[in-house]
Amino acid sequence: MARKQIKVSRRMLFTWFMLGGLILLFTPHSLTNKLQFGFARVFRWPLSFGRSISLAAHRQQPLTDKLTEAQYQNYIANLGEELRQEHQKVEKLSGLRNRRAFEGAKLVVADVITATVNDSKGELIINRGQDDGVARGQYVLGLNNVIGTISETGSRTAKVKLVTDPTSKIEIKIAESNIKRIMQGAGNNSAKILLLSKEHRVKTGDRVFACKKPGLLDGALIIGKVTGCKTDEEHPLLWDITVEPSCNTETLEDVAVVIMNPQQ
Amino acid sequence: MRWLRFGVFILIAAILQASVLAGLNIKPDLLLVLLVFFAVYCNTAEAIITSFAIGFVADIIGSAMGPYTVSFGLFGTLLAYLHRAVAIRKMPYQSAAIFITCLLAGTLAYLLTFLKGTSAVHSVHGAVIFWTSLYSAIVGPFLFLPSAWWMHINTHRFSHQ
Repeated sequence: MARKQIKVSRRMLFTWFMLGGLILLFTPHSLTNKLQFGFARVFRWPLSFGRSISLAAHRQQPLTDKLTEAQYQNYIANLGEELRQEHQKVEKLSGLRNRRAFEGAKLVVADVITATVNDSKGELIINRGQDDGVARGQYVLGLNNVIGTISETGSRTAKVKLVTDPTSKIEIKIAESNIKRIMQGAGNNSAKILLLSKEHRVKTGDRVFACKKPGLLDGALIIGKVTGCKTDEEHPLLWDITVEPSCNTETLEDVAVVIMNPQQ
Repeated sequence: MRWLRFGVFILIAAILQASVLAGLNIKPDLLLVLLVFFAVYCNTAEAIITSFAIGFVADIIGSAMGPYTVSFGLFGTLLAYLHRAVAIRKMPYQSAAIFITCLLAGTLAYLLTFLKGTSAVHSVHGAVIFWTSLYSAIVGPFLFLPSAWWMHINTHRFSHQ
């Protein structure tokens, strides 16, 4: 039996498709992101395989050595900061019960499916989602270093907005001077500390910590190091501070999501 | 048009773009190169369908749904109509078509993403779009031959619709 040929004019075809595109555009992101998560989940294996090829091409020395070194450095920095905080608290003799950063927290280890780290975007898709207790706003660690927060969740996948993403803003403090400020992503694996007066003493190499946030993080954890510190050209009374993460987020193969007070 | 081959081809390109090329600082936009390829070597109706389909796939691997469907669909269709008047056969013309389409489609997609609220205004975006356009224009014409082989399209047979 001959197939019935449906004739649609080009103008009509364009109109209908454009209408579909506009509907897609104005549908809330919370609904349409299911398509993106579905793609990441269905094609998880080829995406991970492609990413491992890309990582292998970049690799110059055994990655495990680099990872272990970075991991230990971040761990030592976190312990140092914790110790410093403990000293402060002992001095105050407040008598209140203190909690360590991960006390009562559950770390959900997740594989990285795709990583997009460039000038305009810093994002990971991981293979853990709402079914594993992952929720929006939770902190994500890579090699004991805060690399970002959960921005969107699906049932079995989630998106991590890296601290270097231009839309990311996170409260931080510079360890040596104990100043709290907002750090905004600047793309290309770096971030900027905003509105810091030149009265404060900041130098290259100073460690930067994510501030504790009730319900999400119970203690300060390292986020990166100051790699550039110069006078802001537009506002000479302020610093122009560049921060880079203590680990290379592009080469991370797995991360840990911090879930405080899990339901069990 | 072999639609099954087209589907597989676009899927492979999307996976390559989202995995292998995602780790590179300097990268061409494979999906946009294919958009220009289909706009040049297919008839106008097929070019409209492929442009929107490629835009949809670009959205799936992008940050929000919609911006690339609209911008790729619009500029793919315009290119297909332009191709009816001006033949884009030689490699320099193909490079120029890729460069201009990438600049325009990239800018519109960025503005629509901003409109949707999933992106912030950032000075680096302009540079990213420019360099992506340039690399796509350099690499693109060389991908046309393998694309034509896979899609069983005879690039020598060329007729204005």
